[in-house]
Amino acid sequence: MGALTLIVLLPLLGFLLNGLLGGRLGRTFVNVVGCGLPLLAFVVAALTVRDLAAAGYPAVIETVYTWAAFGDRSFEIAFLLDRLSAVMVLIVTGVGTLIHLYSTGYMKGDPGYARYFAYLNLFLFFMLLLVLGRSLLVLFVGWEGVGLASYLLIGFWFSDPEKSAAGKKAFITNRIGDAGFLLGMFLLWQALGTLDMDAINAAFAAGPVPGLSAALVGILLFVGATGKSAQIPLHVWLPDAMAGPTPVSALIHAATMVTAGVYLVARLSGVYLVAPEASAVIATIGVLTAFFAATIAVVQTDIKKVLAYSTVSQLGFMFVALGVGAYGVAVFHLYTHAFFKACLFLGAGSVIHALGGEQDIRRMSGLARRIPVTFATFAVATAAIAGLPPLAGFFSKDEILWYALASERGGSTLLFATAALTALMTAFYMFRLLWRVFMGASRMSHEVEHHVHESPPSMTGVLVVLAVLSAVGGFFSIPHFLEPVLPLPTIDPAMEHFHVPLLVLSVALGLTGLALAAWLYAGDASRAARLEARFAGLHRLLTGKYYVDEFYEAAIGRPLEWLSRRVFLGLGDRILLDGTLHGLAGLARRAAGGFARIQTGSLQAYVLLGLAGLVLLLTWSLGNG
Amino acid sequence: MIETALTYFFTVAAVLGGMLMLVARHPMRAALALVCSMLSLAGVYAMLGVHVIAVFQVLIYVGAVMIFMVYTIMLLDVRDPSFTRRWSGLLVPGVLGAGALSAVIAWALRDAGDAPASASTEAFGVQSFAVTFLEEYWLYFELSSVLLVAAVIAAIAALRAGGGRDG
Amino acid sequence: MAEQQFLLAASAVLFSLGLLGVIIRRNALVMLMSMELMLNGVNLSLVTFASAAGSTEAAVLVFLVFVVAAAEIAIAIPIVLALARRRGTLDAGSWTELKG
Repeated sequence: MGALTLIVLLPLLGFLLNGLLGGRLGRTFVNVVGCGLPLLAFVVAALTVRDLAAAGYPAVIETVYTWAAFGDRSFEIAFLLDRLSAVMVLIVTGVGTLIHLYSTGYMKGDPGYARYFAYLNLFLFFMLLLVLGRSLLVLFVGWEGVGLASYLLIGFWFSDPEKSAAGKKAFITNRIGDAGFLLGMFLLWQALGTLDMDAINAAFAAGPVPGLSAALVGILLFVGATGKSAQIPLHVWLPDAMAGPTPVSALIHAATMVTAGVYLVARLSGVYLVAPEASAVIATIGVLTAFFAATIAVVQTDIKKVLAYSTVSQLGFMFVALGVGAYGVAVFHLYTHAFFKACLFLGAGSVIHALGGEQDIRRMSGLARRIPVTFATFAVATAAIAGLPPLAGFFSKDEILWYALASERGGSTLLFATAALTALMTAFYMFRLLWRVFMGASRMSHEVEHHVHESPPSMTGVLVVLAVLSAVGGFFSIPHFLEPVLPLPTIDPAMEHFHVPLLVLSVALGLTGLALAAWLYAGDASRAARLEARFAGLHRLLTGKYYVDEFYEAAIGRPLEWLSRRVFLGLGDRILLDGTLHGLAGLARRAAGGFARIQTGSLQAYVLLGLAGLVLLLTWSLGNG
Repeated sequence: MIETALTYFFTVAAVLGGMLMLVARHPMRAALALVCSMLSLAGVYAMLGVHVIAVFQVLIYVGAVMIFMVYTIMLLDVRDPSFTRRWSGLLVPGVLGAGALSAVIAWALRDAGDAPASASTEAFGVQSFAVTFLEEYWLYFELSSVLLVAAVIAAIAALRAGGGRDG
Repeated sequence: MAEQQFLLAASAVLFSLGLLGVIIRRNALVMLMSMELMLNGVNLSLVTFASAAGSTEAAVLVFLVFVVAAAEIAIAIPIVLALARRRGTLDAGSWTELKG
């Protein structure tokens, strides 16, 4: 068995062990299996990547099994390790392991402890399948699998109907995107006869593919990506997905799974390089998502919802980078985002843990002194996402802004301006969160305050590691590392001299956000309250999340329900199907009733009938011969 | 010549006996008509030279079966409506059906001619009959005795079971 | 009309009369007699063929028919008696329990 197969199968083994035996063998067993196997996978991945580095990063292909062969075409389960998947594998296993460790503290005492770790391991398995799969089909299996794991974990506390509904919403919304993904795969298979992504990229690089529009394929696959990566118009599931346990939000709905769409587009960059229309769509959707999600995040009051909209917004940033052809930069942001957003979510989890389940930031304040480690790490991560140098977010976000302005593949001033405004808002809402939660006088009731406690070392330790990574992660230049597989777009020469001013602007935006938040939320946040009263209509619109859910409900949900109830159930099921069946049954019953009347019980009538039959038979046989 | 005439005579008598049986109101009269019909048939068989069968016809049918019938009729209550009302409700369709059957059979026989008469009456002597039976059809002979034994047992069983109401 | 043909026609008529009797007569005993008439009709045709072909096989068959008829009547009469005792009637039209 090859190393790549081993990496993929280790979490699966964990899933099986924890799922089948975990409930019986107790917490220690679950901890060892649940955390040990992902850690082992990370170690194997690191060693494999080290060997790969020594060889100068050739693309390693490991074929496991021929799934199906038709003539000269075949589906193979094969794994591909190159620079891009190496980055992804290390992020997935690394952050995954950390979050498993954190979960041992966070989920302590939950009755579904073993089930939780089984699901988490299952998620890792599918995620690794997704990032290592060579064929789109294997990727798709992983894609669906992480969706399943996500569904299971969002609805982890399924006895709460709201939470299980959130799970269903995530699953169904993703399914809409998957339809596009599937159509894209069908087109590729029909035209190229292969779904191996390296082969697809090569085919498009070699010139126009006959009978296949790169733009169409690109947009269809991007529809799949919008579902998984929560972009407009399929972004609605991600905020609701916060119903799951917080470490799940950190791992699946911030660091790894939701970035699958980004990975997909980056992996198939060959298609998008020859499809400027599709790239333009991606950039537009990305920047719109980033902007609108940021505006919503500004007014949210649930600590996890703020982070959720922030995630949607940051994913929008990544898609902006993808849309302007800076694939490496998108992966760079994915990588830094994995650290600081995981750190933020886990920090939020620590806060919630400390407050005994409280999530509303209006009822938090002044926690900095009570839970200092959480505060410190949260602050670092906040600064990172706000883009303050020299933290990780600064590097990646600055690069995105730069390419949004200067890339020759669709960079524009409008794109840049919107992205920059969004970056400002990002800084503002993140510092607002920091201020409300950790600064100021305590607004908590005495009883709650009495119970506030710092989280156990298993949680704070992970927070510290992630904070360190958020701080220094940016010094490892992913775009440069990925350049051999994902070349960066050329820079518009006219923009060349804006690079340094832009750096300054970028820092200024972050600091402005910080200052604004500090000013508005200083003291008892009365300035913020006045502002809210002043723009009450806008505030309502934002807290209502632009009423997208309501719009979908009215435009799609209700008509669909009407159609289902009246047409499919009423007409189709009740009248057509039931009517046919009951009609057939009635026909049989009536016919049987008619025939039963022949069976009078009278011997002589039977003989008469026999006589009639005899006459008929004789007539027939004589007539025939 | 006289034999042919007698054959025709007996045949017509047999058919007439059958018809009489059909229309007779009382079962006893029907039974006697049937006896007549059977005796006539025995005559036909004798005229055809199959004397053994003719003898058996008289012995078994007339002597055993029909006597049995007559005893049974005498055992039964003659006030039973089935003794006074002749026809069932199916008189008309029955007559039509039987007419149709006769017509079809007649149509089937419409151009069957006589086979050349090769029969010698010697062939149907008791001796040849017995030889054929015991050399070729002995199994059926034995099986018929089994059948009769079974019938006797069944008759006893039916009488026992049938006596349910009055002991 | 040739003699054999006449005999065969007579056998058909006897058979039909028997069948007719089974259908139209009300009394169960007369129905049994009608069945005997049907057997006799068949016997007549068998004997006619036997005589025409000069073989004893058909006669053997007739003999077996006799045996079957005797067995049949030996069972049928007790059944009729049992029915008569139980129901007090031999009217075939009054036995319709096996109605569909």
